[in-house]
Amino acid sequence: MQEFDFYAANTLDELLRLLAQSGGRVIAGGTDVLVQAQRGVFPASVLVDASRVRELRFIGQDGETIRIGALTTYADILASPLLRETAPALVMAAATVGAPQTRARGTLGGNIANASPAGDTLPPLLTLDATVRLVKRGGERVLPLAEVLCGPRQTCLEPGEIIHSVAFRRPSQPTGAAFLKLGNRQGMAIAVVNVAVSLPLDDDGRIAGARVALGAVAPTPVRSPRAEAVLYGQSLNDDVLERAAQAVLYDIAPITDVRGSADYRRKAAVRLTARALRLAAQQIREGAQA
Amino acid sequence: MKPITVTLTVNGQTRTITTLPNKTLLYALREDLGLTGVKDACGGEGECGACTVILDGEAVNACLVLIGQADGRSVETIEGLAQDGELHPLQCAFVETGAVQCGFCTPGAILAAKALLDRDPSPTDDAIREALSGNLCRCTGYSKMIAAVRRAAEEMSHAR
Ligand SMILES: Cc1cc2nc3c(=O)[nH]c(=O)nc-3n(C[C@H](O)[C@H](O)[C@H](O)COP(=O)(O)OP(=O)(O)OC[C@H]3O[C@@H](n4cnc5c(N)ncnc54)[C@H](O)[C@@H]3O)c2cc1C
Repeated sequence: MQEFDFYAANTLDELLRLLAQSGGRVIAGGTDVLVQAQRGVFPASVLVDASRVRELRFIGQDGETIRIGALTTYADILASPLLRETAPALVMAAATVGAPQTRARGTLGGNIANASPAGDTLPPLLTLDATVRLVKRGGERVLPLAEVLCGPRQTCLEPGEIIHSVAFRRPSQPTGAAFLKLGNRQGMAIAVVNVAVSLPLDDDGRIAGARVALGAVAPTPVRSPRAEAVLYGQSLNDDVLERAAQAVLYDIAPITDVRGSADYRRKAAVRLTARALRLAAQQIREGAQA
Repeated sequence: MKPITVTLTVNGQTRTITTLPNKTLLYALREDLGLTGVKDACGGEGECGACTVILDGEAVNACLVLIGQADGRSVETIEGLAQDGELHPLQCAFVETGAVQCGFCTPGAILAAKALLDRDPSPTDDAIREALSGNLCRCTGYSKMIAAVRRAAEEMSHAR
């Protein structure tokens, strides 16, 4: 294990002060930090523990806006009726992360800040048009998620700045949403490809503003504007869903790595998107019957 | 590195230790508190589950918790399960069902199962599988472990 000094914060104020004074980095659930630190590759010599800052662990709504604090764990997400209703793809993603041991510790803020191209919560958050609230001593800013993720394992966070929470609008129309992940096995697998979709329907039963987002197929998780354009204004039929799935090829740039080749990823991305779209469409139909 | 002093509850007893901050809960339990039932098999990757302990009611990998993060918290290890020399029903069921061969993954698997039963006293087989999905076993296999957890759940419901 690499060497570092350790400070624990009990409040948000204290966290921001300790980070500013020490030049250290946050440790939340530690499920990425400690794997990296035990390999000797975590880029910090001071860790500031955020795991007991209660103010950052919440799921709530004000008006039409849903907010999730950065310290919210996967287990918290899975237990939330509000998220099951308003962000089903995010809940589906949380259920696939690691094992119960990982889900009890790992946090949403950590998944964002870690900025893995395969991070499972990231495509669902992109389909929700989520914004991220960043705070540091003496300032805060709110950015769309896509602007926070600037490269593989790179974010735009400044020194001393933390992720406070994410926010998204409660879907106003009947919406089908789904998340699917292809891994090398069922449990405990990092995605070879993951995909989230949302299909909101207008009053005439046409797709309003669809969202399709994929992970592990580009330097950061990406939306597929081409697939979204194919879906726009269409009615739900399998032909449209299939054409949309094929259109993701224009928006991805996968690489070959230990988990899969670029070619395999391209094929998997199309098939996984097609399945996710059909699942979302099926949800809407069932919702309409209910 | 500046040492830190940490007070935590381990198997119901308050323990205070002074140690270097880059120690994980896993190694603090093993080296500072002499509780060697908690195992290290994957070397701090969170992949194998052999270091599973119960932290404030939840199964976690002790290799991915810094000792400083455990300050003020409550930890249950395998050593805390037997009461007055009587094995816990899960321990009995693992023995009786033949769910133990080499035994290296057993403490972690039993604690993962205990965290499940503490919250869901009569789990489905799927819930048992899910609860054990982070615990790698490479000799016994899972069928007997699942049977053992089911059996312990039944025993415990009769005892109630
Ligand atoms: C066995 C195992 C399985 C896993 N499986 C998956 C999986 O299936 N899918 C997946 O996506 N991930 C997986 N992961 C990775 C990991 O669990 C997630 O990325 C998790 O969400 C990280 O959260 P954390 O709280 O543990 O972050 P930490 O490890 O504490 O931190 C991660 C990074 O984020 C920074 N950070 C944390 N919180 C904040 C904050 N509020 N503000 C600013 N910076 C912050 C830290 O400084 C660090 O750089 C797995 C990990 C393990 C060990």
